[in-house]
Amino acid sequence: MKQEDMMINLENVSMRFNLGIEKGFSLKQGFINMFDPKKRKAKKELKKKNEFWALKDVSFKIKRGEVVGFIGSNGAGKSTLLKVVAGVMKPTKGKVNAYGNICPMIELGAGFDPQLTARENIYLDGAVMGYSKELIDSKFDEIVDFAELRDFLDVPVQNFSSGMVARLAFSIATIVEPEILIVDEILSVGDIAFQAKSEAKMMDMIMGGTTVLYVSHTLESIKKLCDKVVWLDHGKIRKIGGKELCDEYFKECNI
Amino acid sequence: MKNIIYSIKKYKFLLFQLVSRDFKVKYKRSVLGIIWSLLYPLLTMSVLALVFTQMFRMSNNPDVNYLVYLMSGLVIFNYFSEASNLAMSSVVGNFSLINKVYIPKYIFPLSKCLFVGINFLLTLIPLYAIIFLTGTGININHLLLPFAFICLFMFTLGVGFILSTISVFLRDMFYIYGVVITLLMYMTPIMYDLSIVPENLQLLFKFNPLYWFIYFSRDIILYNQIPAINVWIYCLIFGLGTLLIGMFVFKKNQDKFIYYV
Repeated sequence: MKQEDMMINLENVSMRFNLGIEKGFSLKQGFINMFDPKKRKAKKELKKKNEFWALKDVSFKIKRGEVVGFIGSNGAGKSTLLKVVAGVMKPTKGKVNAYGNICPMIELGAGFDPQLTARENIYLDGAVMGYSKELIDSKFDEIVDFAELRDFLDVPVQNFSSGMVARLAFSIATIVEPEILIVDEILSVGDIAFQAKSEAKMMDMIMGGTTVLYVSHTLESIKKLCDKVVWLDHGKIRKIGGKELCDEYFKECNI
Repeated sequence: MKNIIYSIKKYKFLLFQLVSRDFKVKYKRSVLGIIWSLLYPLLTMSVLALVFTQMFRMSNNPDVNYLVYLMSGLVIFNYFSEASNLAMSSVVGNFSLINKVYIPKYIFPLSKCLFVGINFLLTLIPLYAIIFLTGTGININHLLLPFAFICLFMFTLGVGFILSTISVFLRDMFYIYGVVITLLMYMTPIMYDLSIVPENLQLLFKFNPLYWFIYFSRDIILYNQIPAINVWIYCLIFGLGTLLIGMFVFKKNQDKFIYYV
């Protein structure tokens, strides 16, 4: 693969989490354990038991313009993988390289402050997403029109209905034309009319020739959209292949 | 270093948004709004002045005005106290954000220190009002004051980095620091003069960086003189030193934050 064609490169990425099992701890006990080699060993083992590898030795390359789907059961590490690529998490081991600006549509409206008005939140959430002031200024009307919230611009977001908040967040997130688009389930938010509109917009973005990383449990949409499929199982790559992996995965799930 | 400057340039807009968010939220639905920033230090000063001139008579240099003395210490201490407290909880308080999008994490303590810093600049208005009303007057040396303020800012930011790091791993820090700040308030000569402290303890008090920032400011505001060279050096060492240590501690640990959500 030529260097300039490569958009994302993961090399032996592993991600370890602390399960956060609550254990009784007291200073006294800790002090006593310090001098008891048996207990110290037990503590080390407990620590190991407490660990959870969400990703284990995952490597793959993605070329410019590829639409890659990720499948696997709950807890297989799909969302963690997307977060690692987006740079939200730094992998415990391994290397991640992404060449291009990333639009992570993982959680929308992360930057909202409920006390501020919609107008103020467009700027705040935009800044959190990494947009510049000029970009938001120029796209402001587009955001407001798409969200259909012009009459509510100066109302604090805490007085919005949840559907209105989701519409605003969606409109802010989708104004950019990213080189790498990361999608965790196709979002269709709001009422029926807006759902159709937001789905169409996402399809536009995915089909628009950008590089896409796409997680979904709807195998139909993966089949429809993706050129390449990565099957994750307990944090490891089970298989990388074409659309036919979906059928294989489906068969295994039905047993 | 080059990286830091590039990163600050890139996230300047976000920083601005975070600071302005804090401002908007702070004064939302209060009738007096921003006037509270001016009124609050004045009222605290009045309370302290009442207590320490009427109830406990503090031996104080009769040449200087006690109100100006109080106010100059109070403004500096309040900045440190409020900014370090907010910076401490800024990382834990923004976990939901850190977990969802990539933002350099240092931006949270930094935005809090800047936000309180703007508030600090506003509290200079009542400070100067007191300076004029009491007839203390100003002089050309006041132009040197920003040096102390910059050192104070660096010191506070450094402490903020350290505290926000510790509080991620040890939430007890919120309670511990509440006690520490109370202790620090009595160990900083805000309402008394260092000369009333027993001599063998004075050295200990001089290890408090805030003492030097206040000392520097009072030399100019109260005594119309340029601070001695050693005061400049202490301010700079405490300010820059703490900032560097704080940056080091924060940078070393920031990738682990995500495991302690």
